[in-house]
Amino acid sequence: MDIYDVLIRDFPFLLKGLGVAIALLFCLLVIGLFLGLAICLIQLYGPRSRFVQWPLIVYERIFRGIPIIIMLFIFFYGLSGVYDISAFAAAVLAMGLRSAAYQSQIFRSAFQSVPEGQMLAARAMGMSSSKAIAYIVLPQAIRHAIGPWTNEFSSQIKETSLAYVIGVVELTRQAHYIITSTQGNVLIVFAVVALLYFILNRAGNSALYAFERKLSVPGFEK
Amino acid sequence: MDSDLVLDVKGVKKSYGGVEVLKGISFSLHRGETKVLIGPSGSGKSTLLRSINHLTHPDDGKVYLKGEEVTDSNIDKMRARIGFVFQDFNLFSHLTVLDNVRICQIRVNGVERDKATRRAYEELERVGLSDRADAYPAELSGGQQQRVSIARALAMDPDVLLFDEPTSALDPELTGEVVKVMQQLASDGMTMVVVTHEMSFARQAADEIIFMEKGYIVEQGDPQTLFTGAENERTRAFLNVIAEHG
Amino acid sequence: MDFLSFGLEWLPQLLTGVPITLALWVIAITLGFFLGLALCWARVYGGRVWYWISTAYIELFRGTPMLVQMFFIYLGLPHVGIVFDAFTSAVIAITLNSAAYQAEYFRGSILSVPSGQLTAARACGMSKWQAIRHVMLPQALRRVIPQWSNEAIIELKFTSIAYTIGVVEISAIAQDIGSRTLDFFHVFLWAGIIYLVLTSSVASLLGWVERKTWVPGVTTQ
Repeated sequence: MDIYDVLIRDFPFLLKGLGVAIALLFCLLVIGLFLGLAICLIQLYGPRSRFVQWPLIVYERIFRGIPIIIMLFIFFYGLSGVYDISAFAAAVLAMGLRSAAYQSQIFRSAFQSVPEGQMLAARAMGMSSSKAIAYIVLPQAIRHAIGPWTNEFSSQIKETSLAYVIGVVELTRQAHYIITSTQGNVLIVFAVVALLYFILNRAGNSALYAFERKLSVPGFEK
Repeated sequence: MDSDLVLDVKGVKKSYGGVEVLKGISFSLHRGETKVLIGPSGSGKSTLLRSINHLTHPDDGKVYLKGEEVTDSNIDKMRARIGFVFQDFNLFSHLTVLDNVRICQIRVNGVERDKATRRAYEELERVGLSDRADAYPAELSGGQQQRVSIARALAMDPDVLLFDEPTSALDPELTGEVVKVMQQLASDGMTMVVVTHEMSFARQAADEIIFMEKGYIVEQGDPQTLFTGAENERTRAFLNVIAEHG
Repeated sequence: MDFLSFGLEWLPQLLTGVPITLALWVIAITLGFFLGLALCWARVYGGRVWYWISTAYIELFRGTPMLVQMFFIYLGLPHVGIVFDAFTSAVIAITLNSAAYQAEYFRGSILSVPSGQLTAARACGMSKWQAIRHVMLPQALRRVIPQWSNEAIIELKFTSIAYTIGVVEISAIAQDIGSRTLDFFHVFLWAGIIYLVLTSSVASLLGWVERKTWVPGVTTQ
């Protein structure tokens, strides 16, 4: 029986692939989070000089305009020619830098939906601009950002599957290995793989939704 | 030097896009005094008030707080000593009432948490809202929000309180509670500058009324004199219009 | 310079992938548009059974990677006797995936049209269908343009996934040139530039459509 083969004999391999996918997801989201937030803060509060702002715009355009598959190849072949870099590291870098380009936009519109009066009042009370950002604007921006951030999380889970193309042995490539080595039923293997992604996506969404509820404050409900 | 002098504004000028909205304003404020700024909209009252703590950066002129000049380098320290109450409250919307009154004590003045809490409750008591300490701004009426914002300013122990049309964003039936709090503060000896259209407040609480028009101080004097026999024709005209509509 | 001379030599061949990429994209998002409208219709107006069917569909396709969907169709379905060529498989996968997203954007914009608009249309004698056709859709479609544009550009980039099942579009040609020249880095840089030009042009085109159809009050800006 094919289905039992997949569920019992092959499942440990799929789980191993799932683990790699989750590790990739975690690393790329963390890079995207910090870099994206930094980009957003420079865009909103940094020097207005063109020499600072233009490179950021170009950065966002490039990473948002080129398919992730192409980016993966560029990073993988570009870096492995110079450094001894693993496919996983290349994927983390390409996808993390790309996620930063998306997250910076998420944060930017979240910061912009905090009314100006909030910053003004904080400054009027004697807070420096960095304190006002840290204690007043950022906590509100996070509440605006978490919904769109959940969407970014979902798309990134699915896009980890594309690291397959440069040979990262994540869930989808594990599935391929299983199919080629066991002549297993392609339909069932991919159905199980799809289900795993689906569950991971759902679990992540529920966790983020719970976080959103925990932070929820009257006046910020959507 | 006059030891009771709290605020000294000297020749403050401000232009927006070539239009001069403040044409060299000077006035001073002593401890315990309440001065009310009145005048038609666009006369520069709010701009003047915001120039005092540099929310609007003056183009020229100087502001002294207790003899110390307000400058770009000491602005955060000075602002902590100058309470400011906004027309649209600007309570921090992600914080409870209690935290709104505590946060700047803790983060700006470095007051210890327990002490800040006690102080917050004192000030909330003063504006009659200590029972709403756990509410969020969105759960309060406009009048209540404005009273919290007054408590927030008071908790910083300011040398002077500036009110920028504190009742203009409120429904008419809610202005009373805010005016009452302000009157109480005035009679408690708080030092305040108030921009307002509430003539009843000006009449009862002001030590001096400053009438502004087109970026100038047209006339100033105690309420009695100004309301009964203003020297300047424009002041009289303005007060008549206000009397009819207010 | 390496980069330039490489481009001069191989760009013409890379560009032969552009029509395939664009064909894949246009066919898929157009079919996705109609399927998306139908799904949205089923979810908003279809009653209980249709609501659940369309919701399950949307959740399933939004919850799983396009790559897996494409493999499922191209490599999996033949096991039960359903065989599509690579191009058709890619079109089906992108269509089905895109429809799920488009349906959600349509739904969001339909729900954002104030209910008073439909009531007013009915009050002046329009039938339900007329009210939807003449009052609700013109507003809903305008509101959906920005999100729809984003979605269309995402799908344009996703067409590159079709190379994994052997559709000869830009990425596959790049891969092929790479294995012949052993210079994968430069060929993918050039492929990236081609995609960047495509996505930027599509973005400006859709931005132009948005400005052309702009009506005060219905959408912001």
